Amino acid sequence: MSTGSNGARRIASLMRPSRLDSVCRSCQETLGRRNYASAAAASETTTTSSPIPSTSSITDPVYTINAGVVLSRPPQITRDLEPFEKAFYFYQKRLNERLSLPFTKYFYFKRGTPADVDWKNKIKERRTPARDIGKYNAYDNDAWNDELLLGSKEAEPEHLVETLVQDAESTANATSQDTSKKEEIPRPFSRLTEADKKGDHKSLNRLLSRTLYLLVQSKEGYWKFPSLPIEGDETLHEAAQRTLSQTAGFNMNTWMVGFHPAGHHVYHNRKPHVDKATGAAVHGEKTFFMKTRIMAGQADLSGSVEELKDYKWLSKDEIPQYLLPQYYSNIKNMLADR
Amino acid sequence: MAVRESSRYLARAVPRAFVPSARQQAFLGRRNASDEAPSRRLSDQLDELETASSLTTPVPEAAAKAFDPVTRAKGRKTQLPRSRYQFRSPKYDRGPLHPHQPPPPSDPSSRLFVPGPFSLPRAQQTYNSTVASDILTLCYVHTPPGFKPPSKAPRLREWDDSSPYHKNRPLRGPRGGDVLRLLRKPIKFNNIPEIERITVHSYVKGAAQENSGWLHVAGMAVQAVSNVRVETFKSKASVATWSIAPGRDTVAVKAEMHGETMYHFLGKLIDVVLPRIKDWPGVKGSSGDSSGNITFGLEPEHVALFPEIEVNYDMYPPKMIPGCHITLHTTAKSDKDARLLLSAMGIPFYGKIVH
Repeated sequence: MSTGSNGARRIASLMRPSRLDSVCRSCQETLGRRNYASAAAASETTTTSSPIPSTSSITDPVYTINAGVVLSRPPQITRDLEPFEKAFYFYQKRLNERLSLPFTKYFYFKRGTPADVDWKNKIKERRTPARDIGKYNAYDNDAWNDELLLGSKEAEPEHLVETLVQDAESTANATSQDTSKKEEIPRPFSRLTEADKKGDHKSLNRLLSRTLYLLVQSKEGYWKFPSLPIEGDETLHEAAQRTLSQTAGFNMNTWMVGFHPAGHHVYHNRKPHVDKATGAAVHGEKTFFMKTRIMAGQADLSGSVEELKDYKWLSKDEIPQYLLPQYYSNIKNMLADR
Repeated sequence: MAVRESSRYLARAVPRAFVPSARQQAFLGRRNASDEAPSRRLSDQLDELETASSLTTPVPEAAAKAFDPVTRAKGRKTQLPRSRYQFRSPKYDRGPLHPHQPPPPSDPSSRLFVPGPFSLPRAQQTYNSTVASDILTLCYVHTPPGFKPPSKAPRLREWDDSSPYHKNRPLRGPRGGDVLRLLRKPIKFNNIPEIERITVHSYVKGAAQENSGWLHVAGMAVQAVSNVRVETFKSKASVATWSIAPGRDTVAVKAEMHGETMYHFLGKLIDVVLPRIKDWPGVKGSSGDSSGNITFGLEPEHVALFPEIEVNYDMYPPKMIPGCHITLHTTAKSDKDARLLLSAMGIPFYGKIVH
């Protein structure tokens, strides 16, 4: 093949009898677009071999190709630590306290300042400069007793937060000029939100430490990821974007990760049913899922083409109870563990 | 075709349990014929294992309440012999045959023990839960079955043997410069780019011009920011205008962070320091050493924005707070991949992006 125009090469690749029936059309173009040396070799072989009429396209079972969207909200906060992790990190902190040099107080607190007075009061009570290891002095005779007893609260994150806030409050009260009013340090927001307490599966504010996925319920009552058939010669990426706007509405700011599907699901009909428009017997449907992230907004099914009934934002743990086992086993490896 | 189809459906219909496995399930790679004997069957040995972990088994309440190590130690009439409560690792390595061997470095009684990690950094969790899988999806390249990539020219060129002197010559480097670039392999699940280490480096010219106080303050500031001990360096180059001679003046400090420390630093940088810099356009798009390491600089007033310095800003002489260069070393083989990773982590880039 000489260096012709791209269009001519594409036509040639379409005319050429396909060597691999299992390869899709765009991939066949890729195979035909190899470097010139191998393309020349390939053209030689095709001219020498007798042209085989391509009959496979007639006998191949026809499937509807769907573009699916796995719309996900990434985790917003850190995950809860396992009990072992809590204990391990706490013990490592105390070991570090035993092995490190004493705190250089003179660098952090100038003598005679209110901060210095406050420090002296606190170190008597706390016995260590570190605020997250409980009452423990690594330099006294009992320093060997560095392990927590069963049921003690020191390693719990809630306890750590509470001690830090109280410490900051007492510092603010001790060093402020105005003694009449008490300083309040705002506590961090709860890791459980209103939606978690109410069990609101439609809110995006639930399960902040997990990835949430959008599942929609079809009018027959089956749960699935949003998906619609590809129309005409649009690409998978375009079809996925159209699917998103036609099922979940426009009120979302989303980003589609890459141009390749992250997974696929094949559904075989029990009996092939005849498509009215083309007259071909459809054996089932193949859905290719594009990975998408939601940045802002919320799903809205009012304008959906498929007359979807309901939607839910679910984590990976909750998804299997909504999906058919076959569907779930096909999509589960796409979903993040957390 | 029809035969093939029916066999496929048949295979799907038969439950997996009925299909005889080609290989016996066993934990060992090697099997002997005698392993199948009933006396040595693996399943019998597995029955002896406890199914529950020790963490789940409840401790009797009375035993837990009665356990008080401090009062027990104080109630002792005579002190225990030293060997009962204190183990000292040998100071010198006396070889493998000596009876007194040092414990492994992971043992807290080892002299080489370094405590840690102390937490699970948020930036690391973000990388693991979100960024890594997104990069894998973004960098996927589809190769259809039957695709063979075109063969590339060898990276080192051979001599054409036009002269007898070409015999036994070492191979030539690539055309247009003798730098051999890193090989970029396709990104798969096992080579997703990640941040390997972060270096904070500060060149303090005042240390040579005036006094060593500049170097001490710079060292303290970089140490406070990075949470690791700094190294100091002498100048390699001669700068006549600053009266710096090579090998004479100690002019630079460097801190290198790995693992947990690195992720904490990255989190502080991305979420606390960089957003508070006024009119900062981002990291320059042409930055990078073309093998996946990106460097950018911070001015002294930006370094002062780090929370560790801000909390006792009064203790640093304000003029002596250093600026620094921050290098983000990634396992990416090209700057393009490194920028993809860093921008996913939240570092903005501006200007012409050079790959």
